[in-house]
Amino acid sequence: MTYPLPMGRKFPKITIDLEKCTVPFLCKKCLQICPEAILHVTRVMSKEKRLEEMDPRIDGNYVLFASRPDKCTVCNLCIDVCPVDAIKIEVPELVRVKPKVQGEQWGQ
Amino acid sequence: MCWMCDEFGDPEHGNGVWYLNPRNYARNMYKLRAPGKGFQGAEVGLETGARSGPSQMDMLNAIENNDHAEFHRITDIMQSRGQGSQIVALEDADRVLELSSPIGLIACICRKAARAIDERNEMEYTCMGMGVGMLKWERWPERYKGGCAFVSVDEAKEWNHEMDRRGFVHILMLFGAPFIGGFCQCDYPDCGALRNAVDFGIGALKGHYVAMVDYDKCNGCGICAQRCQWGALKFEVTSEKANIDQFKCYGCGLCQTGCPRGAIRLVPRVEVPAVAEVWT
Repeated sequence: MTYPLPMGRKFPKITIDLEKCTVPFLCKKCLQICPEAILHVTRVMSKEKRLEEMDPRIDGNYVLFASRPDKCTVCNLCIDVCPVDAIKIEVPELVRVKPKVQGEQWGQ
Repeated sequence: MCWMCDEFGDPEHGNGVWYLNPRNYARNMYKLRAPGKGFQGAEVGLETGARSGPSQMDMLNAIENNDHAEFHRITDIMQSRGQGSQIVALEDADRVLELSSPIGLIACICRKAARAIDERNEMEYTCMGMGVGMLKWERWPERYKGGCAFVSVDEAKEWNHEMDRRGFVHILMLFGAPFIGGFCQCDYPDCGALRNAVDFGIGALKGHYVAMVDYDKCNGCGICAQRCQWGALKFEVTSEKANIDQFKCYGCGLCQTGCPRGAIRLVPRVEVPAVAEVWT
């Protein structure tokens, strides 16, 4: 892994209110502003409609979800840019990483 | 040589590199799967939940739950039976294009999902399907969301060079290896394959080259540093020249094609002992 992702780290909980966010594929403001590209937009899959081209202008055809919450830095750019105020991010309890050996270099 | 080369390479064809030796892997394209069974690689799920099996979300959950055993089980499945991909340099990419038919330009699904970029015509397409998989266009054109534009080998090469000029990494997609099904043009962080490779070290096989700087020719203009997608190449302030970390280098060759002075060359990975077996 090329970025610090220790086992057991808690990720930010990103919830998207799908009643407010209905046309993410058209709006795409949060998708294009996220520096870590953690948000994804996908079609609502049902077996019968799997092959159909879906119109992004129709409400609920596409849904937004956070596919990589591990990379979310809680910079809140997506919250600021969202026109319908649909994104909420809960920050987990932050744990300060201490070095295991402390003070030994001073002979204490 | 990588494990794909051990299995499908031939020292007498294409320098032993597997993807230049279709004789040994082409018949896998026509293999019929048993009724009711998924294709090879179907055990691995995508984050969209389109397939069964562990997905990327399951892997992240394992990290969050501090479950080492589950994490290693999932990464092992993703590594051994995932979709898989191979990074190729521009010259090798051209040679692969000569070997394959038919070739069709299609819309990139990663860019559509990550950045909501809708590619609609051949001027916009940034992905390429190749080989027998494209023949289903005749029967199921509705499978190609955004359409498909078939091109000749020369047109495909021209398109490939244009993508290289724009700064995309060339990746061969092995759909449940081993055969070449697609040819992606990726950048970080939009592309799923590249993200998994850089963030978790799973999924993509590194290219068969590593880049090296010729310090006599390099004048430190920094153009190559803009093109590296892997964080391997940087401008070294002390010497005022480019510096490449061989362990991080994926051998995509973008720095080489971007260098205006020809100061970067691609060395076969096997000739650099410490990274000769570093494939992920």
